[in-house]
Amino acid sequence: MAIDIYKINPEFRDIMPKEIIDLEENATWAQNQKKPRGIKEMPDTKEILEEHSLCAGCPEAAALRYVLAALPKPEETIIVNSTGCTSLMFPHIALHTVHSLFGNQNAVATGIKRVLDWRFPDIEKDVVVLAGDGATVDIGLDYTLQSFFRQENITTICFDNEVYANTGGQESGATPKGQVFKMAPTGKKFEKVKMWELATTAGCHYTMNMTASAPKAVAKAVREAILVAREIGPTFLNIYTPCILEIGLSANEGLGEMKDQDKDRFASYKFVSPEAEEFLKKCKAEGKL
Amino acid sequence: MYYVAKVNSDMCAEYKCNTCTLYCPEANTLMFNKDGNTSWVDEDRCKGCALCVYVCTDMLDRNCITMEMAGHEA
Repeated sequence: MAIDIYKINPEFRDIMPKEIIDLEENATWAQNQKKPRGIKEMPDTKEILEEHSLCAGCPEAAALRYVLAALPKPEETIIVNSTGCTSLMFPHIALHTVHSLFGNQNAVATGIKRVLDWRFPDIEKDVVVLAGDGATVDIGLDYTLQSFFRQENITTICFDNEVYANTGGQESGATPKGQVFKMAPTGKKFEKVKMWELATTAGCHYTMNMTASAPKAVAKAVREAILVAREIGPTFLNIYTPCILEIGLSANEGLGEMKDQDKDRFASYKFVSPEAEEFLKKCKAEGKL
Repeated sequence: MYYVAKVNSDMCAEYKCNTCTLYCPEANTLMFNKDGNTSWVDEDRCKGCALCVYVCTDMLDRNCITMEMAGHEA
């Protein structure tokens, strides 16, 4: 059903922009593919993301490319996002997206997922929350944790840039201790909130903390998290995507910064609950991963 | 006047590598041509962040990508 919205009316085919025709003919929709989707098709197929308005060299944009390339079934996926730099990208994505108020993304996703399960009981619909650290850790902490407590079947992905970058650089809960920003000149007084540990405690079945420096690892985590969320329960990914402008780096230094933090604040953390592990093994045997 | 990435396709074709295409933050900008075994840049979309130069030069030490003035033919 869902993929039909990308079909072009033959009458208008000759006046359609090339990008739209590409989206129909050359994008990697799950129903056209035998193997699971992944980043390996990215270099020579049309991506679901079109020219976006983020800064040159923004690691968050790269991370979004990996997330979109790894969605198991994009035509049946709904993305819920929140205010922040991420919300600048969503008008450029060829998927259903919902922009909610700042912080209540997990509450909105809960409602959408429940209604979809009721309306389309035979189709697996994925609801993915993509939000920044301000929406997940500060303003929406209540909604995010409550959705984990309720064991909702949604995947929450936090693009953690450790600052309110969009509004000029105010400190957020995810900012590390001592960090100075333009709008936080005295430095942060307390430690970074370890949201991945909170998520595990709150009942997530698949929790990861990582940087976006390794595309394959991000894609694998996204795919596994979404599959677990379909069957078992809530999943949470915390992905470090530094704001190069706010921490004073050049456009080509974001990747180096992420590689450095792989060993420091974002040293790999992974929690998989026993039932999720069993389920992932089953998925692997069936060729879904 | 601004800089965009340019791939030296002769040098690039020597390696079996598409690493730069994965790290580019722009969608469908740095693409891979399977027939020529080389990466290529859609110059209209390139924002000139030079991340691909970092990947090709600093990470892989292959030096196939340079930043050049848009529209300028060497």
